[in-house]
Amino acid sequence: MKDAITVRNLKKEFKAYSSRSGLKGAFRDLLTRNYKIVPAVNDISFNVKQGEMVGYIGENGAGKSTTIKMLTGILTPTSGGVIVNGMNPHRDREKFVSTIGVVFGQRSQLWWDIAVQESFRLLKKVYKVSDEQYESHMAHVIKTLDIEPLLDKPVRKLSLGQRMRCELAAALIHNPPLLFLDEPTIGLDVLVKLRIREFLKEINKKYNTTILLTTHDLTDIEALCERVVMLDDGKVIYDGALKSLKEKWGEGKEIEFQFLEEVELADLNKITASSEVKWEKDEKKAIFTAVVEDDDELISLLIAKVVAALKIKDINIKETSTEEIIRNIYDRGIS
Amino acid sequence: MFYIRIFFQYVAQYMKTRMQYRADLFVEIFSDLLFQAVNLIFILVVFGHTNLLGGWTRDEIIFIYGFFLVPYALFSSFFNIWDFNERYIVKGELDRILTRPIHSLFQIVLERMELESLFGAVTGIAVMFYAGNSLGLKLSWADPFLFLLFVLGGMLVYGGIFIMIACISFWADARTSIMPMMYNIGNYGRYPVDIYNSVIRFVLTWVLPFAFVGVYPAAFFLGKEEWFLYSFLTPVIGIVFFGISILIWNSGVKRYRGAGN
Repeated sequence: MKDAITVRNLKKEFKAYSSRSGLKGAFRDLLTRNYKIVPAVNDISFNVKQGEMVGYIGENGAGKSTTIKMLTGILTPTSGGVIVNGMNPHRDREKFVSTIGVVFGQRSQLWWDIAVQESFRLLKKVYKVSDEQYESHMAHVIKTLDIEPLLDKPVRKLSLGQRMRCELAAALIHNPPLLFLDEPTIGLDVLVKLRIREFLKEINKKYNTTILLTTHDLTDIEALCERVVMLDDGKVIYDGALKSLKEKWGEGKEIEFQFLEEVELADLNKITASSEVKWEKDEKKAIFTAVVEDDDELISLLIAKVVAALKIKDINIKETSTEEIIRNIYDRGIS
Repeated sequence: MFYIRIFFQYVAQYMKTRMQYRADLFVEIFSDLLFQAVNLIFILVVFGHTNLLGGWTRDEIIFIYGFFLVPYALFSSFFNIWDFNERYIVKGELDRILTRPIHSLFQIVLERMELESLFGAVTGIAVMFYAGNSLGLKLSWADPFLFLLFVLGGMLVYGGIFIMIACISFWADARTSIMPMMYNIGNYGRYPVDIYNSVIRFVLTWVLPFAFVGVYPAAFFLGKEEWFLYSFLTPVIGIVFFGISILIWNSGVKRYRGAGN
């Protein structure tokens, strides 16, 4: 299969000016300014195949947005190579951008004052989409995203969830083979999130659309992506299946207990003193969580001990969530 | 061709939006007219004290002012880039522009046009006819064509200068207050350049060639033969300055660093 995105040793550096302190410093800044070169993206390489859905994750400032902006042709790389849809995004920008769709969650693509369908109409002209193409493709998009009743409203009167669905539809007007989504579900409620996820899956299946997704909401990634690329400090620290990330880093399970009687953490520690276990207490809900190694024998033993000693209302065994895994990786670093 | 089609699409869209806010539209046209009237009154007040200004009569200067209004109206209809820094760089709107398959500057021109400023051109032509009439100027067959050529040249001069200034934002982070200052300097082009000292004259001709928006092309219609060479340079200067500004813009876009989220 053909690669939709090829990134080789990509680097982007920014000059960051720092100002000296005090009035004297301000005057000196007038003449010579201190700056240091900050690498926002530092020598990364990866490929994305046509039809893949990839989650691009990292903390704030890890370089996610900078990478996306280089992949979409907005920023020029300092060095390294980017080939997207067989083109150099920055050099061939005007030709290139008609082969991609972009949704920036925090920035509107639509015209604020005019009705949604007018925006669509204008974008249709901008992307030179024929009437037949538009009808056959967009009728479906509009139906799936359920935005029919919003079409004649101006964008400024839409709620965030409504707007986001329209943004997504707008990014798909020219049915691009590659879709960049930068925080598409930020601030949305669960129902809208679910609908957007379903829609993305469908698009991916129907048109074999490649989707590159950045998000802080890891449930998005879990629902959509089989592969994740993780970024820290401008470097790729993990690139592979979400599943093996879980297997490798999801050490341990969590067992949640709720008791019928008043229990103190100290009691629990005493009961399970012989096994390797860490107890945590959620004050509000009175849930006690035991974090143990992922070993069936050990878990049974622990439960047996607790059950023997205390009256139990509820037990729940959970795998470590992706979110925790990733938090762990960021806390401890990969090694 | 595609660009022309897109242009009219945007114009149609613009009209639709504008019609929804009719009151706004009238207020804007009215304040534009008021602004022009104030400028005209200023000229009349000056000539209340003297009959000649550096060898130019009152009507001649009014004629120049009338001419100036036409390219200026075109400029202010299509080149509203005075807030480019705040609107597009700081707020990061340029990101959106850059993900669309149309030249970035052209998109900004389309998004920011204010067609009601075109009424200024009507005022300008009326003022020229009034002044031309009292000067006893005759209209030859070539005049309308040359007028169009000079007006477009003047607009390109204005547009080019302001695009270049907008481009500063690509290189410097800080907001600059050059824009409002430039609007003031632009006004000098409305008066005959030979009333200024030679340095200012040089600047207005070759550095910030605002003289090509007002006095030089208008001098042709006033029959001032000593200025004819400059009159015919108007479209040339316009194309050169505008061309340079596009080149600077294009290399500026390459340097664009984007706004943080």
